Amino acid sequence: MAFNYDKYLRLEKMPTLWCWGCGDGVILKAFIRAVDELGWSKDDVCVVSGIGCSGRFSSYVDFNTVHTTHGRTIAFATGIKLANPSKHVVCVAGDGDALAIGGNHTIHGCRRNIDINFILINNFIYGLTNSQTSPTTPQGMWTVSQQAGNIDPTFDACKLAIAAGASFVGRETVNDPRKLEKLFIKGFEHKGFSFLEALSNCHINLGRKNKMASAMDNLAWIDSITASKAKYEKMDEDEKLNIFPTGILYHNEKAAEYCDMYEEVKKVHQGKRKTITQNDFEKKI
Amino acid sequence: MSLMVAPDNTPVWVNENRCKACDICVSVCPAGVLAMRPEAKSTLGAMIEIVALEDCIGCMECELTCPDFAIYVADKKEFKFAKLTDQAKARAKAIADNKYRVLGA
Amino acid sequence: MNNREIISTGNDLSAIAAVDAGCMFFGGYPITPSSEVMHTISDLLPEVGGACIQMEDEIGGVAAAIGASMSGVRSMTATSGPGISLKAENLGLAQMAEVPLVVVNVMRGGPSTGLPTRVSQGDVAQAKNPSHGDYKSITLCAGNLAECYTETVRAFNLADRFMQPVFVLLDETIGHMHGKAMIPTEEEVKAGIKLRKTFDGPAEEYHPYGVEQDEAAVLNPMFQGYRYHFTGLHHDRNGFPTEEIETCRKLIERLFHKVEAHQDEIDSYEEYMMDDAEIMIIAYGSVSLAAKEAIRHLRKDGIKAGLFRPITLWPSPVSAIRKYTDKISKVLCVELNIGQYRDEIQRASGRLDIEGLFKVNGRPLSPYEIVNKVKEL
Repeated sequence: MAFNYDKYLRLEKMPTLWCWGCGDGVILKAFIRAVDELGWSKDDVCVVSGIGCSGRFSSYVDFNTVHTTHGRTIAFATGIKLANPSKHVVCVAGDGDALAIGGNHTIHGCRRNIDINFILINNFIYGLTNSQTSPTTPQGMWTVSQQAGNIDPTFDACKLAIAAGASFVGRETVNDPRKLEKLFIKGFEHKGFSFLEALSNCHINLGRKNKMASAMDNLAWIDSITASKAKYEKMDEDEKLNIFPTGILYHNEKAAEYCDMYEEVKKVHQGKRKTITQNDFEKKI
Repeated sequence: MSLMVAPDNTPVWVNENRCKACDICVSVCPAGVLAMRPEAKSTLGAMIEIVALEDCIGCMECELTCPDFAIYVADKKEFKFAKLTDQAKARAKAIADNKYRVLGA
Repeated sequence: MNNREIISTGNDLSAIAAVDAGCMFFGGYPITPSSEVMHTISDLLPEVGGACIQMEDEIGGVAAAIGASMSGVRSMTATSGPGISLKAENLGLAQMAEVPLVVVNVMRGGPSTGLPTRVSQGDVAQAKNPSHGDYKSITLCAGNLAECYTETVRAFNLADRFMQPVFVLLDETIGHMHGKAMIPTEEEVKAGIKLRKTFDGPAEEYHPYGVEQDEAAVLNPMFQGYRYHFTGLHHDRNGFPTEEIETCRKLIERLFHKVEAHQDEIDSYEEYMMDDAEIMIIAYGSVSLAAKEAIRHLRKDGIKAGLFRPITLWPSPVSAIRKYTDKISKVLCVELNIGQYRDEIQRASGRLDIEGLFKVNGRPLSPYEIVNKVKEL
């Protein structure tokens, strides 16, 4: 026997609409393997995607699935999760979706620390709409909206998530699907907002005009800009400038989860406990 | 799904209906087991082919990096895979140098 | 009916109504003059085991509410005109994916930031088409305190019946009005709850969007064994994206037709002294209160005026409007905007001579302004 991906796929939707060699498929696969490893029932999972190539992610998997508007995955997922705290809610969004148009929801999802598993597929470009600059497109790369070369500074999405309050933050790449799967498992097991960045290739709409027109060339570039957290920490500052660390970058098991906290709100209103005060929180400001 | 059941005595097998010929599996195979054959009917003019079945070491790289659920590797518990040989490594390099195409084609 | 006396405000009454109607989720964002809806429901929902969340923006507020509704719970958001502008895209998703939702809009002066603390009825046209694309809006408008309650309850039942967002329009005057209202008991409201249809056959025979052309989608709650797909894209009977020509046509036509074919279940209006009326005044919301007062004055002066008050603004109660506009020559539309609903009365009546009395300075219309206008006709 081989691993039975088909159990989780909507087979009539195969093959996917993604281009040949697209990292989205590798991430989809790692996601399926992680869900299988955790033994989640398909009925207990809701997958929410936004707009862009990653938006199609939800339609390929046989869970309760929602394809929302551009950038709003976390906002929809917040409603789904808060109304159904015992269920597993997974968001999938691209770099444009999560960091540009939906940046506000990303920040506040992290801040609330609601138990949403958020997969950021970062391919450094708007792929679906043909190569416009995204908040992670490296400066100096060609994009169709900045043909003289991109001048816009970039985000480090994981740093943003940590600063905003996500209690589990990690990054892996499609070059190492096993590590990606492990990151997903750890993130899914964690109670709280799990920010899971998967660096991915778009050799078609990032690569073609930036000297990495094949999947392999694009993947090699991703390899060249990443290093494990352990290696990264030994680097000097100059080296760190152009490297993204991979692995679990932040994990706080003690941070209170939003749905749990909301249960306390219910208790207050139901006369089962006193009003919530600053004394309930270690952090006062 | 029948595809999920390993064909008899087979370490690795493919579903050609799903392959988009991206070359990734060929590029990650350390043992030169896979290569792309010319295939006029395929969108990109190529199709995955298993060229050295007996040399598969069961590393799973091809399956895990295939974005299209087109390639499967047998379970380690059910199949005794080959050891990685110098000859297999040399073939892998030759295939890569041949732009991932089947050698001699 | 109407056997509970309560002293409250319009905004609070809509929040109380929501909870009585079984609403279990509220997603919102503060905005004058609707914020009290969120204040009150944030106090009421956790008590009954529901949840209220103040999101990071208006878009998040409606998205969270739609998300909760997709999962199967009765859900609401509240805002004012600028908030609707921001929520518009997601309201379109709810129209397209057929997600029930109650949207309370307490209207204030516009466009843009306008007059936040002042009254207006400037969102009437917006309520018809907040989002791009073709669909048929259902919009109810409360004309007094009691209706802030009863129309909110009705909105929940209509949203589940037609599987789409339903607007409840309040205006600042009604929303912040504080007074006595006679409303139905909680038991009566609970007994009248009609939840969305669900399918309980085998999952492989379930086609959530595979319904007749005059029917709404049958969307089972999530997490119960019926796994399907929500999307804002044109979709097939199972909710999956498609570009198939006939499927696309039928979907959009059905979004229209499911409402049109059952308009009798949606129509609602009040006729006040219309039996012998020779002048027809059309007004809705808080303006109707001034109009009634004006009519009483006019009648004392021997002028037979009557009020037609649409409660369902969209789709407009065309046959009821025509019943009067076909025989009464003098028709006056009184609104706190520049004729947003007069346009609809002209369309519905087929007449271009509908008179208007409009005010857009953020102040209410007084009965005397209406009396004077009628005397000029």
